[in-house]
Amino acid sequence: MNLKKQFMEGLLTQNPVLVQVLGMCSTMAITTSFFNGLGMGVAVLVILTLSNIIIAAIRKIIPDKIRIAMFIVVIAGFVTMVDLLLQAFIPALAESLGVFIPLIVVNCIILGRAEGFSYKNSVAASFWDGIFQGFGYTVVLLAMCIIREFLGNGTFGGGLLGIDGKGIQIIPAEFGIGVMTLPVGGFLVLGVLIAAMQWALAKTKK
Amino acid sequence: MKKMDPKYIIELTLKLCATCLIVAGLLGVVNKVTAPNILAINKAKTEAAMKAVVADPDNSTFSDPLALTDEMTAAAQAGGGSLVEAYAVQVGGADAGYALKIDASGSQGIITMMVGLDADGAVTGVSVVKHSETAGIGTKVMGNEPNNKGVPVLDQFIGKSAADGVLNVGSNVDAITGATVSSKGVTAGVNAALAVAGVMG
Repeated sequence: MNLKKQFMEGLLTQNPVLVQVLGMCSTMAITTSFFNGLGMGVAVLVILTLSNIIIAAIRKIIPDKIRIAMFIVVIAGFVTMVDLLLQAFIPALAESLGVFIPLIVVNCIILGRAEGFSYKNSVAASFWDGIFQGFGYTVVLLAMCIIREFLGNGTFGGGLLGIDGKGIQIIPAEFGIGVMTLPVGGFLVLGVLIAAMQWALAKTKK
Repeated sequence: MKKMDPKYIIELTLKLCATCLIVAGLLGVVNKVTAPNILAINKAKTEAAMKAVVADPDNSTFSDPLALTDEMTAAAQAGGGSLVEAYAVQVGGADAGYALKIDASGSQGIITMMVGLDADGAVTGVSVVKHSETAGIGTKVMGNEPNNKGVPVLDQFIGKSAADGVLNVGSNVDAITGATVSSKGVTAGVNAALAVAGVMG
């Protein structure tokens, strides 16, 4: 497998959020502050990479008929581990991501990559697939966080930078469009991003 | 459909079982490592929430969670919430009331709050532990912002007791405009706490 091609697929042509349109639930729900987006992105990246490696490593002994069940067991194991570790060592992040960490188990990105990629490819290729797809996911989350946070609250870097981690105020909070921090705003931003991505991809193909 | 070979079925079962066992074993190890930390963090969080609602935070000590009786849970239900945890508060060795963790429904889901009560059953403080209210609207109530009378919305409960009767938004409780449902949720929680305090004595 060609690393550069895999990287471009993860980030652009096969981007898990904008092109494969996977993992929508968490994408809508948690992209309200920079810290959340980064935390969720990294959590998915780590779990995706680990589960990709294990599934690729045991792919020869996974019977075809029960492969989905085996995938889910492996994925659920990693998710629970990450959940426990976050709760124990980064409680602030565990609190703000809440139920969306356990829900990574059913995040289609991870099951999708297990079924679509690591079940058919080598451990090394699956490792890079996990990194690149996770990276693509993180980049989109961060883009959504930055847009929604700026339009909604007028801040940048919420949860991480600024006074009390409230973010750096760029425009006064009174000018914020409150609806952008609600799920409606998530749909709007995601719609615009997907449209822009499709336009760019269609243009480069020509 | 072709009949499956029994040997194959056994192979499938064994492989799935083995995977589950390995994963469960690993989880056990991770749990062992993280459990003390998680417990300590949760305890610190609960303690901080309780300190926020008692009259004398610096000198108060808190008991371990008290056993919840059917009477207490029934009283909370009748008051409009449900009792999650109850702690006895002591100041300098003397009983100084209770801190009750109560769930009540808000506009978007459950609001979990800590309500402090003194030995006479009057509210010493209310603070929200966990909620999923609408950002910018319901969160005003959760963050104790001023209500339409200019009083911080959660602080208006301080001093209320069973003698004030059932608390109601509009009559003896003032809501935040636009966040009536969230205000009502908190009020229901305080009613539940007062009812529980009533049966605890």
